[in-house]
Amino acid sequence: MVCPHLAYRKTNGDRSFAEARAFCTVVDEFVQPMRADICNDRFALDHAAHCEIYRGHEEGEE
Amino acid sequence: MSYEAFLDGDPVIVTAALTGGVHGKEANPNIPETPGEIGRSAGEVEAAGASVVHLHARRPNGERSFDTERFQAIDDAVRRHTDDVVIQHSTGGTGAPDADRHLPLRTDPPPEMASLDMGPLNRYAHLTSENTRALVDSLHAEMVDRGIKPELEVFNDGHRNEIYGLLERRDLADPVYATLIFGPGTLTRPRPEHFLTAIADLPDGVTFNTLGFGRHQLPFATMGILFGGHVRVGLEDNVYYDRGELAESNAQLVERVVRVADELGRPVATTDETREILGL
Repeated sequence: MVCPHLAYRKTNGDRSFAEARAFCTVVDEFVQPMRADICNDRFALDHAAHCEIYRGHEEGEE
Repeated sequence: MSYEAFLDGDPVIVTAALTGGVHGKEANPNIPETPGEIGRSAGEVEAAGASVVHLHARRPNGERSFDTERFQAIDDAVRRHTDDVVIQHSTGGTGAPDADRHLPLRTDPPPEMASLDMGPLNRYAHLTSENTRALVDSLHAEMVDRGIKPELEVFNDGHRNEIYGLLERRDLADPVYATLIFGPGTLTRPRPEHFLTAIADLPDGVTFNTLGFGRHQLPFATMGILFGGHVRVGLEDNVYYDRGELAESNAQLVERVVRVADELGRPVATTDETREILGL
């Protein structure tokens, strides 16, 4: 399951891209391409296990 | 390779790592991501003095791809924009299945060179790029089958042990070519004394390439030039030209290291010289 905090956006503030890019709504930033694979749970990657942003956010919500 | 090679004015190979796969345009909008952008960048760095281009593949939105077809599209673009540059594919891929790591080796024609990560390294807080010995051996076997020269990527001191182990397990064509990598995290700490230890501790006959991440790119490239090694620069490894100033292009970084080599008296290797030095 894709990270619930993942969005795809072309713009954020004064930043814009030709293609929509992975955007983390927790930190309000575009994410690195390698991190986007974690957000999307590609391969054996799992956002709940491998993303410190997701994990930290979940712990903060509890 | 040693200071003697510097004194002798041996040619220095400049590799340009054009795009990478960790960061992208979110870090520096000048990073080439599409095949067309990467091809044009390859033409610019070749004109600036690079004889090897180190390539990763990406999806149209900049995310990582390991597909042979994406590498093929990039190679085709690179060949359209360059005269004779040596193409080197990455086989790196944190979190990617081992089978996918072989895909960059299967373009037509194959790349002349490909990277071979020598062991594990940490990524972020909860992730490790494993690079098991079994994967190293299987990638090397396919490189041998396809006539591809491996570039051994040595991310830290332990990976030098891995070179010795690889030489015991498998036959590597001379000269063995290893990139010594310095930077934060799992990498060898970027200090001159560690560089000197690393080059002194390589197996006999190993030709080394020098790579410093981030702000360490220029000083470690300079040390590589002084101590008879070769150098790698580019936006994959460093998105800045100076403190707080984003690099404008890969060519800008290549031009700078070429100036340094020229000032220090080591000519930059042509593509023919690079093929001769590396036995391609």
